[in-house]
Amino acid sequence: MKRSHPAAHILFLVLLFSLFALPAGILVLVGLAPGWRFPDLWPERFSFAGIEFLITHRDRIAVSLASSFLYSLATVFVTLCMCLTPAAAFARQRFPGKRLLEALVLTPALVPPMTFAMGLHMVFIKLSLADTAAGVVLILALFSYPYMFRALVAGFQTMGQGYRVCAGNLGAGNIAIFRQVELPLLVPAMIAGGSVVFLVAFSEYFLVFLMGGGNVPSFTGFLMPLLASSNRSLAAILTLIFLVLPILLFFLLDWCLMRSYRKKGMI
Amino acid sequence: MSWTGNRTAILLLKLSPLMLPFLVLFCGGVFLTVCQSLGLFTPLPHTGGLVDAYAVILSDPSFFASAGFSFGVALASAAGSVAAATFLAYRVWQLPKKMAGAALVYKIPLILPHIAVAFVVLVFWSRSGILASLAHALGLIQSMQEFPNVLYSGWGVGMILAYTLKGTPFAMLLILALLVRFDVRQIQTAAMLGASKPRIFFAIVLPRLAPALHTSFIILFLYSFGAFDIPYILSESRPGMLSLHVFDLYFKHDLARRPEAMAILTLMFGFAVLFIIAYSRTVTRLENGVRKL
Repeated sequence: MKRSHPAAHILFLVLLFSLFALPAGILVLVGLAPGWRFPDLWPERFSFAGIEFLITHRDRIAVSLASSFLYSLATVFVTLCMCLTPAAAFARQRFPGKRLLEALVLTPALVPPMTFAMGLHMVFIKLSLADTAAGVVLILALFSYPYMFRALVAGFQTMGQGYRVCAGNLGAGNIAIFRQVELPLLVPAMIAGGSVVFLVAFSEYFLVFLMGGGNVPSFTGFLMPLLASSNRSLAAILTLIFLVLPILLFFLLDWCLMRSYRKKGMI
Repeated sequence: MSWTGNRTAILLLKLSPLMLPFLVLFCGGVFLTVCQSLGLFTPLPHTGGLVDAYAVILSDPSFFASAGFSFGVALASAAGSVAAATFLAYRVWQLPKKMAGAALVYKIPLILPHIAVAFVVLVFWSRSGILASLAHALGLIQSMQEFPNVLYSGWGVGMILAYTLKGTPFAMLLILALLVRFDVRQIQTAAMLGASKPRIFFAIVLPRLAPALHTSFIILFLYSFGAFDIPYILSESRPGMLSLHVFDLYFKHDLARRPEAMAILTLMFGFAVLFIIAYSRTVTRLENGVRKL
């Protein structure tokens, strides 16, 4: 099957790049050339007006970025706590109604989040959870935990029972097995699930707007009015930050993971 | 406590971190949406009958127009994403090892939030956008007005483009996860036995990818059907997506119309659940009719 002509592969890569990478490249240009108008195919002149705006408003941008970052991390942590023991049970045990239950717990990621979030909104207001970061994290976790759950179930299944039984035979207690054997082996699954949850939380606009009510700063909330405005240059720069930050985060994570594996001699 | 009773208790305890939020927040949230649609627990005391809100909505032709429009946008974007992703993922999988790394660019729209993808569509497809400039440079159009009005055609093309751009990499991710475990020898055998390339694709590869295709279709379809972010940026005036309709009723009208917003949400929820059930039933029935290799 690998007989296709090299030129065909290169042509395909060009297609892939123009579909998925070109938009990012164009955003860089739009960001650097605020005056870029129809019908110029290439901007007439570049300016740093967008960057300057970025610098003058750095405090607000930094606050909204940090806030988005923190509530997304908190969401990852909450979903992890929610899913760890249930995923172990689902991966290892048989019990009546398991398939139905599995289908049920995955529904929050499928049905439109508005349908339960707006019903909850009133209760969150009564419990003073609305307009707080805790409320935002709760609603984001409720909507995104199925991704963590699926990843952890798969992680427990690949791990198998062998390590657990072996450690048990060597005299380790349940807690020691969990902390020293299973948790380290689950890290890749946690990262896989955690990255999806992080991205979902980090890029969500509506749920944060609904539950945060403007009190919880968010990068999407900061970006939204700019996207609709005529200042496309600024919107493009902020969108690029959106792109770069998670990529940096994933590289950092990957690097840390590799380093710790190497230290332990696992690879 | 008996031995089995003890085991059940431990199992319940293990499941509780997930089941409690699921029951209290998710089921509770849906329950409250349904209640408010009936006029119970609304911020303002509801004076009418239980199904008044539904009567108002179901007698409004614009509701059906919105529902049909949302359905169409969701169907077109989900089907488009899955079809494009199948082709692209298959070709990515066939790439030689040296080039496979470069193919990772497909993940870029996965990272961008929906609102940013909508912005990208705006930059490319608006009448003063990049593609209009390109068409002008190629001599296809003389002025902005000659460029097709893609974003405000009344067919939701802008939203479909945005959802497809965002959904294709997602479906590719799921499809590639299946493809890496795929045994190349099956294809080689078929090729040796004289199967043509299209036949190999449709008879051998596609059936193996089916689970990923179905999963991604359901997820993408329901997401586009009910999400808010992209329509908020790319919507046209009429007919609007259902989610925008709900948003208007919830935030821009007085509290007395809250039950109407909730009634639409209840109908959307019911539709989503029915769709999941009907879709998975159909898939199971179809697959039972197919001979397994």
